[in-house]
Amino acid sequence: MLTRVFDAPRELVFKVWTDPKHVARWWGPHEFTNPVCELDLRPGGAILIHMRGPNGVVYPMKGVFQEIVRPERLVFTSAALDSDGNPMFEMLTTVTFAEESGKTKQILRTRVIKTTPQAAPYLAGMEQGWIQSLERLTAYVATESKE
Amino acid sequence: MPLAPDHLSTTLAALADPTRRAILARLAAGQATVTEIAAPFAMSMPAVSRHLKVLEHAGLITRGREAQWRPCRITAGPLKDVADWVAHYRRFWTESLDRLDDYLREVQKEEKNRGHKKLHSK
Repeated sequence: MLTRVFDAPRELVFKVWTDPKHVARWWGPHEFTNPVCELDLRPGGAILIHMRGPNGVVYPMKGVFQEIVRPERLVFTSAALDSDGNPMFEMLTTVTFAEESGKTKQILRTRVIKTTPQAAPYLAGMEQGWIQSLERLTAYVATESKE
Repeated sequence: MPLAPDHLSTTLAALADPTRRAILARLAAGQATVTEIAAPFAMSMPAVSRHLKVLEHAGLITRGREAQWRPCRITAGPLKDVADWVAHYRRFWTESLDRLDDYLREVQKEEKNRGHKKLHSK
């Protein structure tokens, strides 16, 4: 769960989340661009974004809007595609926007809902505890990889 | 996002079991024999061996060659891949939201400027 407070009215935050022209300007990590950004803003409407990394590699992403409650709630699925265009992981992302004295408090939740058949067995393990274990193990890995 | 080549799926499948994660946490503290690993678990030796096989297949542990004493050791490589993958997800959202924050400022500034121009042109 990621919580952010933006110094902007809720209507504007919702707009830059749902207008492809705006989304293309901020979607993705630093230095990434989005040469393709198509959003069909209605329940069942398609999302298609091609992110291009600073190294020139394009990462296509496909999704579907599940719920659109202007200007307070947005639910969509998204899947990263492999080189053959098949979805690898499907995530469900819920974003809520609350007005707080002229600012907007945004809460983003995302979880894995579907994955490829061969990866299915570990879906059960994608819970919080799993991530925490990973973080502990990551600390170990960090020490190890310095050697 | 660059995700999940097959070896990552194998690693994640191996990590999806709490017993195997506990075994890895134990091995992160140092190498151990099967008997030592099995000690904290209410589990038969064959069951523990099966878990170790899964971890070994995923490349998460290696086992010594000594016939009697075969100590298990944790291997960092695959774990690092998983950590990178998790970090990638986290990075995707934290950085996207950082950019969204900047972008909102920019858009509001533009709107303000446009508003000023309108006032002046009146």
